[in-house]
Amino acid sequence: MSEIAAKAPARPKRRLIVSRLVPYLLLQALVVIATVLGLQLLQPSDPDDFALSGFSLREDGKARPVTLPHFTSSRYSLADPPLYTGAFTFKGGDAGWSVFLPRFSNAVEVAINGVVVLDSRRDTNANRPDRNTPEIAAIPSSLLHDGSNEITVRLFVWGPLKGFLDTVYVGPDAALRPAFETRTLLFVTLPVVFSAWQSILAVILAIMWLMRRREPVYGVLAAAMVLGVIQAFMPPPVPPVAVSRLASVLLASAPIESALIVVFGVLFFGWRWPRYGMLLFAPGLIVFAVGLIAGPPLPRILFLLLGIPTVGFSLVLMACVTAAAVVRRQDAASLTIGCAVTIVLTCWIHDMLSVFEFVTNERTFVSRLSYSAMLVAIGAGLTWRFARALNQVDGFAGQLVARVREAEERLKASFAREEARARAAALANERTRLMRDLHDGLGGQLISIVALSERGHEGATITDAARAALKDLRLVIDSMDDIGGDLMLALGSWRERAAMQLRPHDIALHWRVATPQGLPLHPELRPWHVIQIVRILDEAVTNAVKHAAARHITVTIDTRDDGHGPYGVISVADDGGGFDLGGGGGEAAGANQTARGLRNMRSRATRCGAVLVLSSDRSGTCVRLQLPQVFPDSDAAAG
Amino acid sequence: MTDQGETGEAITILLVEDDAPTCWRLQDALVKAGYEVRTAGTLGEARSALAAGAPRVLLTDLRLPDGHGVELIRETRQRFPDTEIMVISALGDEESVISAITVGATGYLLKDAFPTDIATTVRDLVAGHSPISASIARFIVRRTQSSSEPPPGPALNTAKLTPREIDILWGIAKGFSYAEIASHLGLSRQTVPGHIKNIYRKLEVHTRSEAVFEAVQQGLIKL
Repeated sequence: MSEIAAKAPARPKRRLIVSRLVPYLLLQALVVIATVLGLQLLQPSDPDDFALSGFSLREDGKARPVTLPHFTSSRYSLADPPLYTGAFTFKGGDAGWSVFLPRFSNAVEVAINGVVVLDSRRDTNANRPDRNTPEIAAIPSSLLHDGSNEITVRLFVWGPLKGFLDTVYVGPDAALRPAFETRTLLFVTLPVVFSAWQSILAVILAIMWLMRRREPVYGVLAAAMVLGVIQAFMPPPVPPVAVSRLASVLLASAPIESALIVVFGVLFFGWRWPRYGMLLFAPGLIVFAVGLIAGPPLPRILFLLLGIPTVGFSLVLMACVTAAAVVRRQDAASLTIGCAVTIVLTCWIHDMLSVFEFVTNERTFVSRLSYSAMLVAIGAGLTWRFARALNQVDGFAGQLVARVREAEERLKASFAREEARARAAALANERTRLMRDLHDGLGGQLISIVALSERGHEGATITDAARAALKDLRLVIDSMDDIGGDLMLALGSWRERAAMQLRPHDIALHWRVATPQGLPLHPELRPWHVIQIVRILDEAVTNAVKHAAARHITVTIDTRDDGHGPYGVISVADDGGGFDLGGGGGEAAGANQTARGLRNMRSRATRCGAVLVLSSDRSGTCVRLQLPQVFPDSDAAAG
Repeated sequence: MTDQGETGEAITILLVEDDAPTCWRLQDALVKAGYEVRTAGTLGEARSALAAGAPRVLLTDLRLPDGHGVELIRETRQRFPDTEIMVISALGDEESVISAITVGATGYLLKDAFPTDIATTVRDLVAGHSPISASIARFIVRRTQSSSEPPPGPALNTAKLTPREIDILWGIAKGFSYAEIASHLGLSRQTVPGHIKNIYRKLEVHTRSEAVFEAVQQGLIKL
């Protein structure tokens, strides 16, 4: 969709908007019609048989006949209220008559035959102009007499709204009571129920917002609901209220509340709240400020001038916001809220019409009720959305756990594979090394034995070769053992073999370990290092036996430290005749063999990172092997 | 180089080895040293030879045509506790030597040892000095260290070894001579061989049930 929009930006987009907006507007028109019809249908029916419509009104000293329902002019004084006087006929024997006033504003005082039976000024709820509180009063039977009886209604009005008195009903209590109960249920009990719901939802939403500060939408709605609840339970700013100033401050709640609802709508549908949007709160704040400073009735007038239009403007704004959301999102939430806003707006228009007397016969205000219902619906929807989000989180967490487990298993499998591969590689390496070691020593010696046997040699030569082969076999086997990086353990075995080798030649092996520890530990020491070192020492001893005619061989094991960490030094010294290191002169064969042996020793030392120093003179030969501080990991000179 | 027992009689040796040249070689060396040597090529022959009388020393190979030398060592150890037993090994590897030690052998002899060494080893053994190699010592001490997972190789219970004995084994494993070990540990040089024999005795598993007990103790068997 975005691609299409990018290619041809203007037209298809507009067409899309129209194609979405038109059905929505049609739907809203249907909602308006349904609301109007619903209001007509829900209009509580009153017992018309007992209606009293013909009254004489005495106002400002003048009397004139009027027909109820009747509007009087607005006034700000409670003194000398308009007085309606009428008459009804009582038939003896009927028990328990009552007078029932379905709707009046703002307060009434009803007297039968000059005796007051009802004064609504003491009932704060009844005084609220925004509630359609009905009143009923039983007429003591002693007051009634057969035939015509007089009823007088004093209507107290506090501006700026006009006074209103609906038809008055006088008749048997049993006939009037059901109508009164219906109205009480609709206009008294239901708002209280809604307010209770609102207060609960306010708490829930406030907690949600406290726990999730990133989502101010919950906080905004909670604030709106709290205002609504306060407004519903506080006494109205009308006389004879005790804390009139506080009450007038509360007048500001309605415009602020409606502005908050707009904020909620904007945030809920994912838009940014524009900075100049704060102007929407201005009327409410002005009413608030005036309420603080000036006493009634100025706040009430301001409320009528500023507050009520603000409420209407907010509702219209809200309707626009939801319409835009519907066009953009096409989801159930925006559609539902859109319909709810339309219903509230319709109710508000209905109330305005009745205030300005375009609808004359009734003065039932329904916007507050519908607004409460809408808030409750929105709150419930939000809670539902929150619960669904929690479910999604749960599901997501479950998925995550499953995924992690899966990944873990895959990892384990691949780890096992890798391990098996590494094991196989290590085994192959070890095999290669073993082959090389056997080839270097044992193989050659066995072949030499075969060759010697074939040429008919006897005795000592073959024995020497075979012994060398066995010695080498033991060395290879020995080097395979795990010595835990302690080269001394390998040298211990070597000493035994060397001593055994030297015993028939009557050469003494002296073993000198300079430090108690012997050599430093080398965790990185590998069998192939050991084998190279031992072969170097073997070669040194063999040279001493074969070529130097030594009587004593001294092996010295020492640990040195030049400040860069300890390293080991092994030296093999003999007291033989020594030999020419240059390789020149001397008997050719022996010298050649010695030279090859020396070359071998050097290359082995290099492989292990060790340094080989040879010194030889007439008094003997010394092979000094300086071990590295750390043995190299790979066999650099191998292959 | 003639060696006689305390009674003046020649020391009798039963040599069990199936490879004839090896057998001859060892026999020659021992006879030259003045020992009275009987030979057997199989487990059966060895048993009948034992039936004829207990030798002072039993030298046996482990791999025999009709059975394993370990059987012979165990039987001999039970029937003739005074007989010194040594295993003959080609390589002196831990596998063969340790398995022989656990059934009662107190030493080993390399098949390619020089004749003088062969005689010396037997003489020392009769004198109560058990030979031990650096690699065997290394194997035993490494077993004393090893933790949860038993290392490969024959089962071995090192629990009875004293710290001093373990120190001696360490010294041997690192190539020190008995004299050096004795001076390091403040012992007399003559006592070191006796310690080694003690070590062998402690490593011996006497009966089958004891073997099971040891195995449980070491966690080799889970009940």
